[in-house]
Amino acid sequence: MIRFDHVTKGPVRNLSFDLERGGTAKILFDSEDRKNLFFGMLAGRQRPEAGKILFFGEDLFAHAENERLALFRRIGMVPADGGMISNLKAWENLLLPAWYHRGLTAEEAERPVAEIFEQLEPGEAGLKRRMGELPGQLSLYERRVVALARAMLMEPDILIYDFTFAGLERDAAQQLMKLTGEFHGRKAGRVSLYLCPDDAVSARLAVDRTITLAH
Amino acid sequence: MSMTLINPGRIGRAVLGAGDYWKGFHELLFYSLRRLGALGKPPVRRVLLKQIYFTGIEALGAVTVIATLSGIVITTQITSLVGQNIALTAKIMLWTVVRELGPLLSAIVIIARSSSATASELASMKIRGEINSLRLMGISPGDYLAVPRIAGITLSVVAVTFYFQMTAIVMGYAFAAIMGFMPFVKSISGVISTLSMTEVLVSLLKAFVFGLVISITSCYYGLRATGTVTAIPRAATGAVMRNLLTVFLLDGIITYAFFV
Repeated sequence: MIRFDHVTKGPVRNLSFDLERGGTAKILFDSEDRKNLFFGMLAGRQRPEAGKILFFGEDLFAHAENERLALFRRIGMVPADGGMISNLKAWENLLLPAWYHRGLTAEEAERPVAEIFEQLEPGEAGLKRRMGELPGQLSLYERRVVALARAMLMEPDILIYDFTFAGLERDAAQQLMKLTGEFHGRKAGRVSLYLCPDDAVSARLAVDRTITLAH
Repeated sequence: MSMTLINPGRIGRAVLGAGDYWKGFHELLFYSLRRLGALGKPPVRRVLLKQIYFTGIEALGAVTVIATLSGIVITTQITSLVGQNIALTAKIMLWTVVRELGPLLSAIVIIARSSSATASELASMKIRGEINSLRLMGISPGDYLAVPRIAGITLSVVAVTFYFQMTAIVMGYAFAAIMGFMPFVKSISGVISTLSMTEVLVSLLKAFVFGLVISITSCYYGLRATGTVTAIPRAATGAVMRNLLTVFLLDGIITYAFFV
């Protein structure tokens, strides 16, 4: 489902790996710069100097813009900063791709989002209350929760988590880790790829394989 | 003359810049015409309605004031020149308000309000990486950001122009009637009977063309912004100046084409 075929770009040299249906993997980075370069390739923004990046067997960079967008509809990207639109409220950001691609209304989205929030803060409604705020008024944790819920509502085949647990309090990181693990198991064949800093938090993330990109 | 005033490099860059602009303008024009179907998606329609509200509805206050004052000034000037000549006053009102001032002043109000706002909003989104965020969601930035803004601003310019013309004529004659210059009902009837289909269609054409130009130019300058936050005000001023020049140029061309 995700395949890196002898990919080279900057400090990433001749990287090859395959992440098959149902698989999980984490890629550990020793620096955020290296991770940003890597994520830029996954996001189709930075073309590799050599090699190919394939999603669902299709070369990401062989496609024109509109075909690449069609690929991204099947991939849930969870950027480190949340990747939100600043003039939309948190709830509108959360709903946007599902509303755009699947026609999911706010009423239809309420229940699955409530289930996600309930998993993160059982019996409380703090996150729900924050959904009326603009992205600039949310904490890092809240922005990442919105990005996660936004990706999950699309029911993607591939999820890519970009430093999702980094820079958070230990309990918050643990809750998000547990949520992503459970979400992975809900759809047969779903693939989850975690981009993580090489630290103690990431060490607790249980996956099928680990790749380390370091000097 | 100092070389800094006739610097060939600056002239060359200006020419190349104009070339880039027209290329980008045409690309965005044809893209938006091809992708009008995107307006069928509810999130895109929402952006369209917000744009119509901001550009059209919220501009009505300023347009009402400017149109009223314009109508009053024109009727006052006309009656001071020609006296109580209803037929001639109606013709001059149509020439000035319907053919020229309506489309032009409406466009200027919208350039001042919406062109700078749209260009700076899109530039800000570009600088902050939000255009890329949309792509990661599989959403085409052109479909979600440009198409509804182009459609919304164009429709708003046409509607606001029509509103301006009605307001200027009605309020101008109302003032003239209050001041005893000429009777209100007869004056309005004079305008209606003098108004030709050509004038209506040309004024609508001007409004439509101005709307397209303003919207596409604003989106172009906003979406091409790169670098730091200083690109945001540059996008806004670039859009406003380009729009003012282009609107006046097109006004001259359309007027010459239809009325000479």
